[in-house]
Amino acid sequence: MRVILTAKPRRKPFIPVEAESIIPRHFLQGRDLFIWEGNKKRSLRELFDVMVERTAAAAEEVEVILRGDVSRFKRVGEYMDAGKITIEGDIGMHCGNFMSGGTIEILGNANGWLGREMRGGGILCHGNAGHYAGSGYRGEKFGMKGGTLEILGNAGDFAAEYLTGGDVIIHGNAGDLPGVEMAEGNLLIHGDCSRPCGNMTGGTCTVLGTVHGMLPTFRMTGTVLWEPKKIRLTAFEGDIANRGKGTLQVREFHYDG
Amino acid sequence: MVCPYCACLCDDLDVTIEGNRVTGVDNACDLATHKFQTGNRLPGPIRLTGKGWTGIGREEALDFTVEMLLDADRPLIYGWSTTSVEAQSHGIHIAEEIGGVIDATTSVCHGPSILAIQEVGHPGCTLGQVKNRADVVVYWGCNPLEAHPRHLSRYTTYADVRKTESANVADEFLHLKPGGDYAVLGALRAIVRGKTDFIPAHVAGVPKAQFLRIGEICKGAKYGAFFFGVGLTQTAGKYKNIRNAIELVDELNRHTKWTLTPMRGHFNVYGFNEVCTWATGYPYAVDFSRGMAFYNPGETTAVDILARKECDACLVVASDPGAHFPRAAVEHLASIPVVQIDPMVNATTAFCDVQMPAAVTGIDAEGTAYRMDGVPIRAKKILDLGYPTDSAILGEIYRRIRDERKVREVKGT
Amino acid sequence: MTELLLSNACVIDPLNRVNGDVMDIAIRDGWIVESVGNGAEVIDAKGFLTLAGGIDSHTHLCGTKVNFGRYMMPEDMRAGRTIRRGLMHATSGYSVPTTYGNSYRYSAMGYTSILEGAMAPLEARHTHEEFSATPLQDTMANTLFDGNWSVMEAVREKDVKRAAAIVAWTLAAVKGFAIKLTNPGGTEAWGWGKNVTCIRDTVPHFDVTPAEIIETLIRANELLRLPHSVHLHCNNLGAPGNYQCTLGTFDLVPDLNKERQSLYATHVQFHAYGGTSWKDINSKAEPVAYAVNRKPQIVIDMGQMMFGKTTTMTADGPMEFNLYRLHHNKWSNHDVELETGSGIIPVYYSKKSLVNCVMWAIGLELALLVKDPWQCLLATDNPNGAPFVRYPEIIGLLMSRRYRDEELRTIHPGTEKRIVLHTLDRELTWYDIAVMTRAGQAKALGITKIGKGHLGIGGEADIAVYPIRIGETDPSRDYAAVVSAFQRTAWTIKRGRVVTRDGEVVVEGTNRTIWARSRVPEAYDISKDDRFVKTFDRYYTVRMANYPVQDAYIPRSTCIESEAVL
Repeated sequence: MRVILTAKPRRKPFIPVEAESIIPRHFLQGRDLFIWEGNKKRSLRELFDVMVERTAAAAEEVEVILRGDVSRFKRVGEYMDAGKITIEGDIGMHCGNFMSGGTIEILGNANGWLGREMRGGGILCHGNAGHYAGSGYRGEKFGMKGGTLEILGNAGDFAAEYLTGGDVIIHGNAGDLPGVEMAEGNLLIHGDCSRPCGNMTGGTCTVLGTVHGMLPTFRMTGTVLWEPKKIRLTAFEGDIANRGKGTLQVREFHYDG
Repeated sequence: MVCPYCACLCDDLDVTIEGNRVTGVDNACDLATHKFQTGNRLPGPIRLTGKGWTGIGREEALDFTVEMLLDADRPLIYGWSTTSVEAQSHGIHIAEEIGGVIDATTSVCHGPSILAIQEVGHPGCTLGQVKNRADVVVYWGCNPLEAHPRHLSRYTTYADVRKTESANVADEFLHLKPGGDYAVLGALRAIVRGKTDFIPAHVAGVPKAQFLRIGEICKGAKYGAFFFGVGLTQTAGKYKNIRNAIELVDELNRHTKWTLTPMRGHFNVYGFNEVCTWATGYPYAVDFSRGMAFYNPGETTAVDILARKECDACLVVASDPGAHFPRAAVEHLASIPVVQIDPMVNATTAFCDVQMPAAVTGIDAEGTAYRMDGVPIRAKKILDLGYPTDSAILGEIYRRIRDERKVREVKGT
Repeated sequence: MTELLLSNACVIDPLNRVNGDVMDIAIRDGWIVESVGNGAEVIDAKGFLTLAGGIDSHTHLCGTKVNFGRYMMPEDMRAGRTIRRGLMHATSGYSVPTTYGNSYRYSAMGYTSILEGAMAPLEARHTHEEFSATPLQDTMANTLFDGNWSVMEAVREKDVKRAAAIVAWTLAAVKGFAIKLTNPGGTEAWGWGKNVTCIRDTVPHFDVTPAEIIETLIRANELLRLPHSVHLHCNNLGAPGNYQCTLGTFDLVPDLNKERQSLYATHVQFHAYGGTSWKDINSKAEPVAYAVNRKPQIVIDMGQMMFGKTTTMTADGPMEFNLYRLHHNKWSNHDVELETGSGIIPVYYSKKSLVNCVMWAIGLELALLVKDPWQCLLATDNPNGAPFVRYPEIIGLLMSRRYRDEELRTIHPGTEKRIVLHTLDRELTWYDIAVMTRAGQAKALGITKIGKGHLGIGGEADIAVYPIRIGETDPSRDYAAVVSAFQRTAWTIKRGRVVTRDGEVVVEGTNRTIWARSRVPEAYDISKDDRFVKTFDRYYTVRMANYPVQDAYIPRSTCIESEAVL
């Protein structure tokens, strides 16, 4: 089944829309779905032209395609467990929150909190992601627990904050403090970043670019060869300030002495 | 009499009143004295029309406000730090009723402190504990002499600058590179843990020897008190800096006694955080558009909402975003209906459609305020200038909104 | 004049020795009267179990440290949100709900009065503000004196009357209800990062022992003729082997009052541990319960722990720091100058943890081993042992051996060697439960005289109608029905108005604060005492004139007055 949702122009295009009802499973039932524009409850069809092709017996067979300007649409894919969502442009905040299965592909950029508290499944963002990609929620001890979040562009600050499992792959640069508070899981940054892995207690973070503001509380343990591209990295253990035993391995690093 | 300026909330001011004016203030710092002596209050509500500013009646001002809030799809109510808890409470109920967002000046000031507390807790105390026990006091990223002038004399055992400078910690003036606080605090944590070998010779411009010395001073204190301000909250990393400071204090508590206190700015910003928390569950930046409280600073904070042009109406109470907010946020205010409840013409007035003056809490209105350490003190009313209180105005707005919503529900609109 | 007739109510009213009679209750203007006219509104209780409104004698709902708990736990907040609807505000929170959340949820369970477990006098205004935002329950505040400088000086000088005078002034100033002692002496030691380990340790700088503080204040309390007794959170909470401290504390307590206990020891589960470390911790509920059985001058509450997530928050600062060292969760601390302390840390009580399983068993053992239900009241030290919404499950467990056995099968297998719960057949009756959840509290708190806790003529019309017919239910077997019934009343009536119907709030609450004033002779007016005033001015950071809670904070109140005998 393909569900093509084309966003209609809105009278107040900057009012955010909360669209957590847009997950593949919900389209199986053929019932009306509701989304919220600010404090107003709207039906899906008020904000989208809806075209449904074919049928499906299970959520795995449902693909939802979002066209038009959905850059202010939040929580798309929240709690998704199967199927596919393709966003042909930019997407708003909290895309793929709590996702446990299925795939989300974003052809444009993603706003903040992409894949927040993911548990499984996969998100591929072709463009850039905002702050807090692959992160947790305020106050929670655990963040993303599983699944794969891959960003082809750059990520903002605090990527993979509180990472507790799964894989976060950033092909471009990450901003400030990626992997801060991480406890488990894998964070791979192809580009540059600053101050990675503050307070890290476990897990592995690999930076194939340059680390600026390398934190002074990591103990160098040697070098390691990153196989896929045969790049030699310097390995550290830390964050010692936090009794951490995580692994941070970087190609190049500069202290802010 | 209780001073309604900063969150020191000094309650030992002596005020001389002649007629309806304050003519003298004793025991106050310059900042307070200035507040008591401002004149130039708006005489009544004003409205911006095609012809400029005109005086309007209370009814028209209230009607405009109620209509504006009810019609909005994403109303924002912002401010709150210089009014009473009673008024703040009404504001929260209004936001809940209209499905809007409520936020306070916390979000541009000590919001990061709160975010850090939400990650690692707050090892705090009332200020008297510091005054009666502390032998080591640290001021980090703040300038108490300018922003909280009586803090040193009221809440520490040091009476003036010179004496403080001769105290242990002031001898250790940590001069660090901007943005280096996180690294420096992390290094101190490791040092307090006794892990020193791998730390580089310099961190953010601070030599390792100084770190080791400071670590010893802190561990050797009988009671240490850590105060910090926006120098720490607003520098790169923001709440992570505070978190590191808190975790440093936690680590020190394994050796001796230490507490930490944020130097809150306005006299009742903490009061807003308190009432917002007990009423909604969250201390600021609360979004009620889905009928329940949602909290996510960065998303539901006023500056961000305005900068993204998300809101379509704004009510400002007891603060001046026009003066303090970044340009992108302020520009949006110009394009939406804005009402301000504030006694004075200020930078925000330029963006308002309507402004209603109210009494000033602590001068001509009484109400509860929370000191920077959480101690609640009742601000007094020492003059009567004929203005309604924030609380009365907001209470009335709330009542009218509730009544109007009931009518609209019946009509199905 | 408003009249209401609650008909066909199956009443259990232990204070009036009514045990399951079906009767009509006539209410006029908020009070239970002999009869009402034909114009009265009638509610047919359909034979449902009808009790006086629930009274929680120890719960942490309002004040500085509770709000700290909320503030630092946005993840707890988002776990329990409800939408604004009708007269109900939006609520948030699972173990530390917002004030409206607390009020609505308690009301849905039939509770109409609560005693806030701890209020620091310096911060009383905060507690009272939150009381106003907990609109469906009448409120009382346990006022902390455990680290009070002036009181400790009076204790050292063995001057009971001086201690009494200080208490009288403070309670009246802050509109408090009773004397609360939390880890007496320990909270002051914590001001220096230290603690006391038991009742004979000396408090640094003050040269007094916790035993002396407790004894002096018990006697001071009785000189003041306060409605409630001293309310004590014993030293050494949570430490393996602490039951000795608890027994030693109990041995200090004289029998000074004919109408009620002379000491209320709270959340005793946390104080009934044997063993020497976490490895060999075991239950000492038996000796503790037997001590209570021998001492009518002591009333305890269970402090039941239930499995799952919750937040601990007490004035016992050093104890909370130790929990931080154990679990390394986020930890908050708040010491209050010249008065007391506090600490907050979230916890998770797990069935996989042998220690937690022993703790769970101990609370139930206490309730089953203390013979007289008037001496062991139901509470969880909300939220420390568990959120109060778990009370119905505790009721189910106490009334059903089968339910207990089923739970025992799911916990850590090593538990049985450390506890006696599995050997206890006793099943509490409906009457026992009515005692442990309202009548006993009313008696222990001394508020029967203002009409609380009973359904006789002259009682205040606070009534809970639970959708269950005791004649048709065997609680031993149908414990699920028992639990379900106690989770939600058909009606909760407060001062003669229906406030909740099937869990839905139907009125704006107009609660009152109940506080105590003991009138002392002029010579004992401590506010005129030079030394007291000097200490105040020198060490507090708030002036004495600004310290008392102004009338504006107590819009509606009931003051229980007494004449001090000094």
